[in-house]
Amino acid sequence: MQFKVSKAWLAIVAAVVLLPVFVRHAIATEIWIFAIFGLGLNLLMGYAGLLSFGQATFFGSAAYVAGYLLKYFGVNVFLALGVGIVVGAVSAAAVGYLCVQRSGLYFIMLTFALNQMFYFTAYQWTTVTGGEDGMPGIPRPSLLGFDIHRPLAYYSAVAVLFLLSLWVMKRIVESPLGKILQAIRENELRAEALGYNVPRMKLAAFVVGGAFSGLAGVLYAMLFGIVPLESIGFVFSGNVVFATLIGGSGSLYGPVIGSFVFIWLSESVSSMWARWPLLLGVAFVIVVLFFRGGVVEAWARFWVWRAVRRAPDGVQADASR
Amino acid sequence: MLYALMGIGLSIITGVLNIPNFAHGALFALGAYFLYTAIQLIGNFWLALLLAPLGVGLLGVLIEYGGIRLLYKAGHDYQLLLTFGLSLIVTESIIIVWSPVGMSQLPPPILRGGVDLGITFYPKYRLFVMVSAALLVLGAWLFLEKTRYGAIMRAGIEDKEMVALLGIDIHRLFTAAFALGCVLAGIAGALTAPIRGLNPWMGVDMLGIAFVVVALAGLGNLLGSIAAGLLVGLAQSLVALVWPEASVAVIFAVMAAVLLVRPQGLFGIR
Repeated sequence: MQFKVSKAWLAIVAAVVLLPVFVRHAIATEIWIFAIFGLGLNLLMGYAGLLSFGQATFFGSAAYVAGYLLKYFGVNVFLALGVGIVVGAVSAAAVGYLCVQRSGLYFIMLTFALNQMFYFTAYQWTTVTGGEDGMPGIPRPSLLGFDIHRPLAYYSAVAVLFLLSLWVMKRIVESPLGKILQAIRENELRAEALGYNVPRMKLAAFVVGGAFSGLAGVLYAMLFGIVPLESIGFVFSGNVVFATLIGGSGSLYGPVIGSFVFIWLSESVSSMWARWPLLLGVAFVIVVLFFRGGVVEAWARFWVWRAVRRAPDGVQADASR
Repeated sequence: MLYALMGIGLSIITGVLNIPNFAHGALFALGAYFLYTAIQLIGNFWLALLLAPLGVGLLGVLIEYGGIRLLYKAGHDYQLLLTFGLSLIVTESIIIVWSPVGMSQLPPPILRGGVDLGITFYPKYRLFVMVSAALLVLGAWLFLEKTRYGAIMRAGIEDKEMVALLGIDIHRLFTAAFALGCVLAGIAGALTAPIRGLNPWMGVDMLGIAFVVVALAGLGNLLGSIAAGLLVGLAQSLVALVWPEASVAVIFAVMAAVLLVRPQGLFGIR
């Protein structure tokens, strides 16, 4: 077991090192940022069985707050990231507190509706957020004296943070909390009967997931130098759900491979056709209708069991499908 | 009242089929665009108002038949992705077929201008929308409470297996329920077009509102949907008077407040 896990890590580190050789640096960076975002969602969706359709709330809020501090107060990178994580966690705590009151369909609808609330707040609060135009001019201050303006330098910083996030998430899902969340997913009544405070555990999952989303949000803002309004919109929430699902939710590495495929595909298609969300929609439908039992599950299994051995090549071969 | 209409439609779909319908907003927008095109083609507002929702309903049948039907056994996550994907497809198709730029649609000549209500001057068309939406809500309520089909549909919300055991074709029930919900969304969209104009994203905020209405009312609770729809509409217009920028966010704040006090929703049982 120990051996297998270390192999997975080897594969991921290899992917992190090799990716910028093959893919444009900005896209490579975005892939790992999105993967951090997906890790947060996966804790909720894959492990706790809570299908949150509002992850962009935490992503966007953190991006806006940290972006504002970076832009107008020139705070340093660590403070910005820290603030982002805190904002993500706090907004997730607020949203989560309301959402865990309900379950099933209501839960999904609530996460979505609250996402809309944040979206419209950002949309209308133009003096701070820039409304539809987004919040441009986010600086990328130097990190410990290193200049991270060059794409590759920033990529490295993000990649390190991604590996760190993955390690933390691994620790979390293997911790008692992670096990309890899985127990809740499998049988909520039973978990409650065993004496666990189910709503509180769900809330904890929200907070942790929100913190990851927040981190991803700040990195995203610094990558593009702008906080676009879409970053808090529900389409963004849907994208991360999709990415996590195609990668295989409930597996630690699922969102990683999912975001790789998703970002890589959408970036290559979006440069070709302005109406690419149409293709995205078609892709959603096709995957859901025809490849649900097939590719997704097989892929997840493939990833868990086999891809561990030959990640970089395996990942790219699969992505081209 | 339009909110109530959206809420009931969504409530029927979510209640009977037990799926999160994220395409509801896009279908709402489609209703508006169908109305626009139908008027362009036949030049009669009333006929167009009849045809547009039917067109949306027809599309609903196709969607249910070709997609949703295959996913009843799958989890909510896949159903959500399907309807979300559909909403992207519908929205982008609207952009391609019509245009990304907003359009406007005049109400029919008889309904232009305003009426003097004594205390205030009110646009005729808005009055018409209010009255017709109220009638539709009433109609939907009568249909669901007083007719056999309505009874089957309500039974479907309560207990699907039992309905199936009574020898009722549950799949036809699902198709019918989905189509009915789509028709209601289509009507709401068509009625809205002359008030707010058309744009491809008009369904997005409506979708959020419909979810709020359902969450407040409880699934399948029709009277609750009406009350919640009115409450949301009222809260929004009152806030719009004093603080227009916040009027949309307020809806969600109302929901959050209600859920804090009553987690099961205003009228929810479950």
